[in-house]
Amino acid sequence: MRADADPLLPALQAASEELASRGVRFEVFARLGESVHLVRDQDGALERRESHELGVACRVSGGGRAGFAAAAGGGARAGRQAARAALDAMLPSPDPLPPREVLGTSGSALFHAPADPGQQDALAQALASALNDASSEVTLVQLRILAGTSSAAIATGEGYLGRAAAGGAVAELLLAPPAGPWRHLHFAAPTVAELDPEVLAHRAAEACLLATRGEPPDRQLADVLLAPSVAAPLVVALAQHLARYPINDGELKRARISKAWHLVDERPGPAGLLPLPWDGEGLPTRRIVLLAGGHLHESFATWERAQRTGEQPGGAVRPSYRHPPVPGPANLVVLSGTALRQPELLARLESGFYLALPAGAVRVDHASGRFALRAAAVAVEDGRPAAAHPLVDLRGSFRRLLGALAATGGDAESFSLASAVTTPSLLVRRLEIA
Amino acid sequence: MGRDEGSGLSELATAVAHARVAGLEDVFLERRVDVCWRLAEGRIVSRETLLREGAAVRRDGTLVSGDGLDRPVLARLLGSTTRALPPFSAPPFPDPPQFEETLPDVPVAWASVRWSWRWTAVLTGHGAVPVRRPDLAEVTFDDGHRALTVWPPATDREPHGTVPATHANARVGTARVLLAPAAAAVLLHELVGHPLEGDLLLRGASPWSGRQGERLLRLELSVSDDPSRTDLPGAFSADDEGETAQPRELLAGGVLVGALADRESAAALGVPTGNARRATVHTRPRPRMSNLVARAADPLPHPPRNEAAIEVTSLASGTLEPASGAILLQVRTAFALRRGERHRTLTPFTLVGSLAAVRAGLLAAAEPTLPVAEPGWCAKDGEIVPTGAVAPWLLLSGLEVR
Repeated sequence: MRADADPLLPALQAASEELASRGVRFEVFARLGESVHLVRDQDGALERRESHELGVACRVSGGGRAGFAAAAGGGARAGRQAARAALDAMLPSPDPLPPREVLGTSGSALFHAPADPGQQDALAQALASALNDASSEVTLVQLRILAGTSSAAIATGEGYLGRAAAGGAVAELLLAPPAGPWRHLHFAAPTVAELDPEVLAHRAAEACLLATRGEPPDRQLADVLLAPSVAAPLVVALAQHLARYPINDGELKRARISKAWHLVDERPGPAGLLPLPWDGEGLPTRRIVLLAGGHLHESFATWERAQRTGEQPGGAVRPSYRHPPVPGPANLVVLSGTALRQPELLARLESGFYLALPAGAVRVDHASGRFALRAAAVAVEDGRPAAAHPLVDLRGSFRRLLGALAATGGDAESFSLASAVTTPSLLVRRLEIA
Repeated sequence: MGRDEGSGLSELATAVAHARVAGLEDVFLERRVDVCWRLAEGRIVSRETLLREGAAVRRDGTLVSGDGLDRPVLARLLGSTTRALPPFSAPPFPDPPQFEETLPDVPVAWASVRWSWRWTAVLTGHGAVPVRRPDLAEVTFDDGHRALTVWPPATDREPHGTVPATHANARVGTARVLLAPAAAAVLLHELVGHPLEGDLLLRGASPWSGRQGERLLRLELSVSDDPSRTDLPGAFSADDEGETAQPRELLAGGVLVGALADRESAAALGVPTGNARRATVHTRPRPRMSNLVARAADPLPHPPRNEAAIEVTSLASGTLEPASGAILLQVRTAFALRRGERHRTLTPFTLVGSLAAVRAGLLAAAEPTLPVAEPGWCAKDGEIVPTGAVAPWLLLSGLEVR
């Protein structure tokens, strides 16, 4: 590979050369993310942001010490800066670096076409127009379309070099219904071309108008049906909570797990939004089964944690080149055993609440294992809509969530959140609604 | 505003101006260092260093940004040639503070300490404006909550005072609550700060759009945004469009008198500019809060614990929903009061109320007025900037415990 043709290689090579002479084990990671972010305001004004984020990170280990540092930029200077800062950061620590033999075979990454600003402009135009056609009651306050690609490379002092590439597109709509809170909708796909403006506009308008007027419900324990857009951030929060603890050490190790749960991190694909060939440390990706058959199977572990706890490694992620690898989800998929259609789910709900649209982020208290989120909801009685609630609070504990999943839908959707997540509707018994 | 003598920035600004880039608004340069010490039982277990630098060019409504801070990067962003740009130098990455010397006794409840240094400069048609900011300290506690202050962090704080051992759920329903300065700061940040940001006023996403000069609160409270308070984490010498930083009065004796604006919204609203902030080199400058400073005209000498049922010492978050007019305060730490004394520690709960209820329900302010480590990192559409606050105690009725 020629350094002058590859934006990742100058920093990678400079860092490797700097570290190779220091008698330490090392790993160098470089990533280039290129994105185009288009914002269309209510008056049709367009703003564009094109960013080119490139950086390099080094982990070093030797003599019972280890260090991590990262530097922005793609040139040899950035590589040397990261390498020297990592050496300066070395402190007494176990060796966090996986040995060569557990890393994959070096491979090449598939090409992902860069974002096409013209295609984004066309989607923005088409989506605004389709929304206008779909409903005269809904006002488009803001539309954001993000398209991007990333390419990454990882090299070790023992001769491993891995490459990976990924791409994705997100459309976000901020909508004002005739009454009630503004609504934020999020759609994700592997490419801009796969975001169908007609379908998105129809679904956005429908969701936005579902619960515009009404009072908050009384505080109660109730059965809830979570639409995929509400379930997705909760599933990510659950996976992140699981990642905090080794499988035999967490507060959830004795939790009752519903047999309806089948949650996996489908890292190698093909399912899910964001498959990749290796984890954040270069280990070949594998399917990580978190929950299945009424059991907590596995959590996420970096190589270093796996050595301490006896877990399986391969669960590392890097949110960016700026972060050292940490245990966490990458490409979550909730597999549906029941794959029920919505009328069947509503019939099983019988009485409770259908949470149609999230209204803000999930709030998590990891110390207590409790979560809370707000959503637009419809009260359901005897399987039929009974009252609208523009904003309800859903609260509970992850322990409760693990035991209370009753059924899953066949309507899986993908979202690009803190990790990629694909989930259908989830029917959960007796969570707190207020 | 001082120049960085010998850095070549002024010459670079001149060269950029001569390059006649079509529609050029400004060039933004950034260099920053973050060092994070992770702790266990008061001892350092690892250290992470992050060196960042980058540049951004705004032209014709488009922001183009890239990591790296050398002439080829800048030339690519400007659509120019490297030879057309003179050599320049940003300040070198500084060495981090000596942790053990600065913080010899670290509380065991601390999970990590982060030191942040940031240098930026804005090149406009008028020249180069380097921006000075205080170094920041972010402490993350074992329970996950974070406190943001200027460096160094204080180790001798007892954030919540005496904590009763017995726990209880807050009683659901309307309650009179006493907000400690850390909680009052979050409420005022959401009630007065965010909604007076120019882009939200223009978009109609603020309940205070078109209501300048109206009385907002019955309580005679004055609130300003003050980026010149270098003892607080939101400080800067110039904003991220190169405008000199100045205190901005937002609320005078309970009456709305100001707004926070970048150049674009200042022109549309007819208010002074100087409040544009960028979360990173890759984000656009937008009107944002810096340091909120609240003062009451006639504060009580002591917090009136006898007059409240609940004392709230810290919030996990606060939200103002402009369309529904609802305010939500996620309470992290609170105590049930009985005869003016803390009686029980309350489990986390939510306080909910309408804007009208809060406006009418702010009954009194009390000393001491204190600088606090809240709201800390302030997020707007995922863009996060450091903020600080000085606030008194506030007595508030009309909110509902949920």
